[in-house]
Amino acid sequence: MRSLRAFLLRIAGLFGGRRHDRELTEEFESHLELHIEDNLRDGMSPVEARRQAVLKFGGMEAAKASCRDRRGLPFLETLTQDIRFALRILRKNPGFVAIAVLTLALGIGASTAVFSLVNAVLLKPLPYPNSGQIVFPWRQAPPGLNLGYNDLPWGRIEFLFLSRESQTFEALGAFKSDSFNLTGSGDPARLDGLRASAGFFPALGVSPLLGRTFTADEDQPGHEHSVVLGYQLWRDRFGGDPAILGRSLELNGDAYTVLGVMPAGFVFPRAQEMPGSFTFAREVQLWIPLALSRGALIPAEPSELAVVGRLKAGIAVAQGQAEMDVLGQRLQAQFPQAKGWFTSRVTPMARQLAGETRRPLLLILGAVGIVLLIACSNVASLLLTRSLGRKREFTLRAALGADKRRLIRQLLTESLLLASFGGLLGTLLTAAAIHFMKILGPASIPRLSETTLDFRVLGFALGVSLFSGVCFGLAPAIAGTRENLIESLKEGGPRSGESQATTKLRNALLVSEVALAFVLVIAAGLLAQTFFHLLSVDPGFHPAHVLTFELSLPASKYTNQDQIVGLYQSALQKLRALPGVESAGITETVPMGGATESTALRIPAHPAADPNDRPYSNYTMASPGYFVAVGTPLLRGRDFLESDTADSMPVTIINSAMAKKYWPGEDPIGKQVGPLSRLYPVATVIGIVADTKRLSLREEPPPEMYVPYTQKVWPSLLTMDVVLRTKVDPVSAAAAARETIHSVDPDLPLANIATLETLVDGSMTQQRFAMFVLGAFGALALLLASIGMYGVISYSTMQRTQEIGIRMALGAQRRSVVAMVLGHGGRLASLGIAIGLIAALAMGHTMASFLYGVRPTDPLTLAAVSLLLLTVALVACYVPARRAMRTDPVIALRYE
Amino acid sequence: MARSKNDVWQGTLALMILKTLEALGPLHGYGIARRIEQTSGNRLAVNYGTIYPALIKLEQEGYIASEWGQSNNNRRAKYYKLTRAGTKQVQKEARDWEQATAIVARFLSPESGSSS
Repeated sequence: MRSLRAFLLRIAGLFGGRRHDRELTEEFESHLELHIEDNLRDGMSPVEARRQAVLKFGGMEAAKASCRDRRGLPFLETLTQDIRFALRILRKNPGFVAIAVLTLALGIGASTAVFSLVNAVLLKPLPYPNSGQIVFPWRQAPPGLNLGYNDLPWGRIEFLFLSRESQTFEALGAFKSDSFNLTGSGDPARLDGLRASAGFFPALGVSPLLGRTFTADEDQPGHEHSVVLGYQLWRDRFGGDPAILGRSLELNGDAYTVLGVMPAGFVFPRAQEMPGSFTFAREVQLWIPLALSRGALIPAEPSELAVVGRLKAGIAVAQGQAEMDVLGQRLQAQFPQAKGWFTSRVTPMARQLAGETRRPLLLILGAVGIVLLIACSNVASLLLTRSLGRKREFTLRAALGADKRRLIRQLLTESLLLASFGGLLGTLLTAAAIHFMKILGPASIPRLSETTLDFRVLGFALGVSLFSGVCFGLAPAIAGTRENLIESLKEGGPRSGESQATTKLRNALLVSEVALAFVLVIAAGLLAQTFFHLLSVDPGFHPAHVLTFELSLPASKYTNQDQIVGLYQSALQKLRALPGVESAGITETVPMGGATESTALRIPAHPAADPNDRPYSNYTMASPGYFVAVGTPLLRGRDFLESDTADSMPVTIINSAMAKKYWPGEDPIGKQVGPLSRLYPVATVIGIVADTKRLSLREEPPPEMYVPYTQKVWPSLLTMDVVLRTKVDPVSAAAAARETIHSVDPDLPLANIATLETLVDGSMTQQRFAMFVLGAFGALALLLASIGMYGVISYSTMQRTQEIGIRMALGAQRRSVVAMVLGHGGRLASLGIAIGLIAALAMGHTMASFLYGVRPTDPLTLAAVSLLLLTVALVACYVPARRAMRTDPVIALRYE
Repeated sequence: MARSKNDVWQGTLALMILKTLEALGPLHGYGIARRIEQTSGNRLAVNYGTIYPALIKLEQEGYIASEWGQSNNNRRAKYYKLTRAGTKQVQKEARDWEQATAIVARFLSPESGSSS
């Protein structure tokens, strides 16, 4: 208690310092007077009396200092002193401060901007209540089967089993996407919807803005004509009318009652967040009950359900996984013929939403870290130079009794102040960068819109500023206060004298800058090469001059196969007749437009020996003329014809990968293949087309079989993509296409109108973004490193002015002086490049997964970047070299 | 070692100041320092100025209070006196010291242990 009282009084003692000083002086003087009195009484002379009193007192200033320390908090006081002093010093050198602060602002601003992205994507808690409990159990393919995707959909029976038997989940919801044509209120519109079971909304835990979500009763077949609207749809289409609840909407020809509206920003699920084996829309506009029937298993029922679950409070993800494993085994026992198909992987929501962006983001974070280090190096170098100019000041102060630690502390205060200014300016830059990132960044970065300057980001900015401050301030502080008393105080001593150690330190900083810049530029170069390789990859089709759009037929209006086929046929006929259209076709999903179905195969000629290792392929539909329209070359055999109908022989066209895989060395034409289920006939192979890339330009196309849409297929024909190859600009054909479709069915809207080029481009956005960002950072690193090189070389040249003067006076040519300077710079740069080479080779494998068509240790790239860096270094040395060249020996010799 | 010695010294100095004030009543800094030197039989020859930081600390802790007054020769001086808390503290510390020295004395007395 006493010490607390004392501490509080010491804080109070920070103020009123002058009054205390006066009182203390008064007290000390009175002390001396009393002592002198006694001394006089003892018989000393007045002079002796005073002298003895003063001696006996001891050091008066020291005593005053001790008392002052006791009275206040010395640490705080010296800190304020240091800060005031530092500000004064900085004000005297505006040029230096400007360069240092700007350099730091660039480094800190860039790293904070990248961190804000990492924060939004990977670190921030999700906008769902208790999001740690939300998980996605995905079905996994049996081991050994390579379908191209890991996470697969569940079937109806399996989901009903899971939701009935599971103990660890509080809520389990199944969902799949569906599209709905809204008619009867304004223009017909194609809306992206989600069919979700009753457990869907409770699993996510988000409450509706208005009204409510569906109950279990409404999730029954026959009772499912209710709908929950999304916020954007409610605003755009219905004017945000609060009386929307209870209204009836006409979707796909049926009446649906509006139950509620979800809050703004809720558009779950986004296509980019869900695995590639599913087809989801970019954002969901409305939710409709899934209404799964509770009946027995129907043969060849497709598995198309995604599942989301909320674990009970306190249950860990591992427990959920364990239960899923057990339930999977029980399902296996029930359905032994589907062995190996009931394993699952439970993915927490945060991981699921972050998707594939974790590693690229970390790569970018590493790159910006390099930029920051280079910036700090530059500022450290600057500080080293400056601290040398103040060497005399420091040695004098040390000689006068200043504590060396105090001096270092003061220098560190200057650095930290610089870092704080840099940090403040950098934070402003970050704010601007975030603004632009949100506008220009690829939409495929999840949660990009949530990037803000929140406290975590600001904390990072603060931490990075402090860290850089210490980083670049410590070494120059220690180096600057190193004592060499005699040398520094001598009048005639070298004005710019510096120790070997300092020169070595500066050179080491520069060499490391060059090495870091090298690594970064290599990475940027490799990514750029990857990008261009991808662009020149043959996608298996010709994207130029192709328009695509999606047609979604309402089930209520188109009830049988003949009606559907009839619509498409007449639509295609009319589209082909348009003047701007060269060819037209339809397919289930265009390349780069999403995933197709896939199926196990039945090849009668080669029955599968192991039921767990059946042949597989993608399975999709196409019309005659589709391959021509999309530009996929027919390698052998023939295209589908109008004569391939439900009544004629079942036929199929396979791709080259399938031909090679299942009929190696044979001619597949004429052979038979079909889906595993005996409900669907085996078809005869009539043609082979080239492999097409479906999801990204990097993929290895899997085996694929196409079936005419007129024959017996199981995927629903209600949603198909139309492909038009146009003679002119594809966009201009869109209006004509819309009119044509309207003439066939006025209530049928066109959706997802896009050119194939746009779709291909869209698949490359992340690649392009990474390339640009790394390229920008590489350029920044090069710039900073060349500034650093310029600084170091010009300083060292200035130091050697006398030496240069002597050389020239002794007859050296100007050229040799230039060579000397360039040689110095070149040597340093080469050392940096060599170190960078070693580093790049060592870290090559971490980059490997980002690359395509180029190895991380590509010798051409390494050589090119080495040359680039050397050139940049020599250019940076150019100005100091010229200055050195023009030295007048007479002036130089007098230079001190 | 030098550091802890200083701490011990600070502690004993504080005790000596308090004891002096207990014995002599309110006194100024010079008087206290003089008295401490005398009481120690002039064996403690420290600079008088060192007393002042200790006085400030004791005042902050609330054991003494200060006020400006007049000395016998009508000289202005700052007088320190014990507070009630200070009185209790000095009694407590004196007891602690006695106990400590008694224990050590037992170890050092000829009855305990061997030799010499």
